[in-house]
Order: sequence, then structure tokens, then C-alpha cells
Amino acid sequence: MFPGMGPSGYADLGKFIVTDPRARQLRRAADRVLGYHLMDLYRAAGPDYSEYSQVAFLITCLALADRAGHGLAADPVAVAGPSFGGKVALAYCGVLPFAETVLLTVRLARCEEEYFRSEHRDVVTQSVARTPEPVLREVLDGMTERHEWHDISCRIDEDFHMVSMREPNLDRFLRDVRAAGGLPLYAMRPPMHSPAFGALRRKAEDEVLGDLPLAAPRMPIVADHDGAEVVTPGDVRRMLLDGIVRAVHWPRTVRTLRALGVTQICVSGPDSLFSRVRCTTDNFDVIPVSPRTALRPVPAP
Amino acid sequence: MWDEQFEALVRSHLPFLPPGGELAPDLDMRQFGLDSLGVVDLLVSLENTYGIRLTDEVLSMDTFETPAVLWQALAEIQDAAV
Repeated sequence: MFPGMGPSGYADLGKFIVTDPRARQLRRAADRVLGYHLMDLYRAAGPDYSEYSQVAFLITCLALADRAGHGLAADPVAVAGPSFGGKVALAYCGVLPFAETVLLTVRLARCEEEYFRSEHRDVVTQSVARTPEPVLREVLDGMTERHEWHDISCRIDEDFHMVSMREPNLDRFLRDVRAAGGLPLYAMRPPMHSPAFGALRRKAEDEVLGDLPLAAPRMPIVADHDGAEVVTPGDVRRMLLDGIVRAVHWPRTVRTLRALGVTQICVSGPDSLFSRVRCTTDNFDVIPVSPRTALRPVPAP
Repeated sequence: MWDEQFEALVRSHLPFLPPGGELAPDLDMRQFGLDSLGVVDLLVSLENTYGIRLTDEVLSMDTFETPAVLWQALAEIQDAAV
């Protein structure tokens, strides 16, 4: 599994990328295709979702998967990549060569940045824990009555969601969630995964993904929004485009993985979310492979 | 000052605090590894241990900033329940 991306600054991933041999190799390949020195610009960027952070995250996850592959008792049977992890899955599964995946990542990042510079500038995505869907539904029904636009952008667990809304409505939403016993965590900007972003889906299709040649994945990728098995190039294209306008539904992905007989998940990348929620830990033996675990000194024999 | 249960629970959610390290009242718990899911887990553990339920403005990441702030919030809820 390749995790969704959180804010990833140089302090989080820089040390791993400059020390891990496979990551260094990937970084050199990325420099060649990007035409700039990734680490120089990454170091200067903030802990956000810049194109540099995204490529650094991609490199980190792939290098960690390489490490993980050497230590696993069995070959993986499927790949899951919620949200950003879907892009990492492309390179891992041979849908695109690494260099092309870097270009795709950067082009999509620029496409999104350009879009959100003028559209939905006041939309945020707020994560809330301890809010089972019926509880959240009541809060959202209140918003509907007040004619406040909202979308569930991510179902991470049965009681853990991300909701997109206009920023002026956020305070009232937070108050209602707390009154219902829920715990608001953090707000993300820019938002993602909402039917409201149909124009961004079209832009991404026209400018980035439309005629990009994709290969069939060498193993099924389990789509993050409906849990479908993605096996053809057409499926992959749809998964990437639909990911812009459809909510992530992690419990559905979990159900498909279980149906495929998966009992163990190797999480290649820094993750503090998908691999730790109950619907993951109740269903799988989770093996985290993160920069932190990778950089830990190995005790002398 | 907080009790031993609180100390043990909070410590168990701070993976970067060395075993012998001091749990100072103003320790920035985020810096010592208390992330979002850690907060959720710690919240549930505290509620189960003290038989309380946190609601409204206490349910905020700010409540979990330092041990002192968190203990103060718990103490107020316990006082209100007496």
C-alpha cells in the first residue's frame, strides 16, 4: 500500500532521499527529466503539497517499496494507493515508467495549482474523527437546511471522515461536530475529491491524462473510491480522473483487499492515517516501512 | 499535578519521549510524536480510564497541546461531574 500524502517538508523526507541508495538513484532520474535539481528546490519549499514535495514523496514511497520487497515473505497480490498513493502505484505496477510518473505528478500538481488559483478559493477540507456516519449526517443535514454547500471527500473509517465546505461555514461545522462528540483534526487546502471539481477533471483530462499512453498494471490496483480492481489501461485512466471528483472510500478498498485474500499490508511510505485506523488494523497485519524505520540503525549482529 | 494513570497514558502516546525523559507540564506533545490519530486514541483512553466524556470546545487539538492543558481540561470535567 502506498499512503495518501500529508504535508511533507524537507525535514520529513530529505535525509532519507539523500542517504538511501535507491532513493538517490530515483532522485537523479527525476532531476534528468525535470531539468532542475529537485533537492535544492525541495529544501527551499515549505512543508506543503508543492510539486517538489510531491515528487519527493513519490521517490520516498518507491524506494521504500524496494526495501520492503526484499524483506517480504511473499510477493504482493494487489496494490492499494489511497489519494496520492494512486500515483505511486502507477510506477510500482509498471503502468508508467518512473520518469513518466514524475512528469505526470508534476503536470497534475501544476494543473491543480492553476485551477485552485481561481476556482473554489474559499473551500477547505476538514477531517473529523469520532463521527460515525449517522452523527455526521445530522450535522451535514443542518448545513443543507442552511443552504451551505458541502461534500464528504474522504471516508477513512466508519467514524472518520473528511468534509469539504466553504471556509466561512467552517466554524459552525466545527461547533456542531464537537457538540455531537466528534473531534475535528485539521483543515486541508487545497481541497480534493469532490464532485464540485468537474472542471478540474476535464482540465486534467485535456491537459495531462487524455492521450498519455498507459500500460496495464502488472497486478491489480484497488481503486480508492469504489474498491474496484483496476486491471486495464482504461481502468487506470478512469481511476486517476475519477479520483478528482469522487470521494475516497477506504473501507471499500479494505473489503476488496480482504476478498482478494490479503491478510498482510506492507505500507511503503510515511503514513499516519490509513494504515492506523481500525478498519485497517482490524483486518490486516500492518508492516510499516517509513523513512523513520528505514533510517533506524541496525543493531550489530 | 496529575496522577500516575494520566502520566502513564500520556507517556504511552509520546513515542519520541525517552523512557526516562521528564514529562514537563509545558512539553509540546506534538514534537514528541503525538499526531492526529494519537490524539484520537489518547482521547478514548482517557475517557475510558476516568469514566468521562469530552464534548464541545474541549474537543480540539489545542486541548492536546501540552500535558498541563490536557490535565486542566480533564480536571474541570471531573469537577463538573461531582
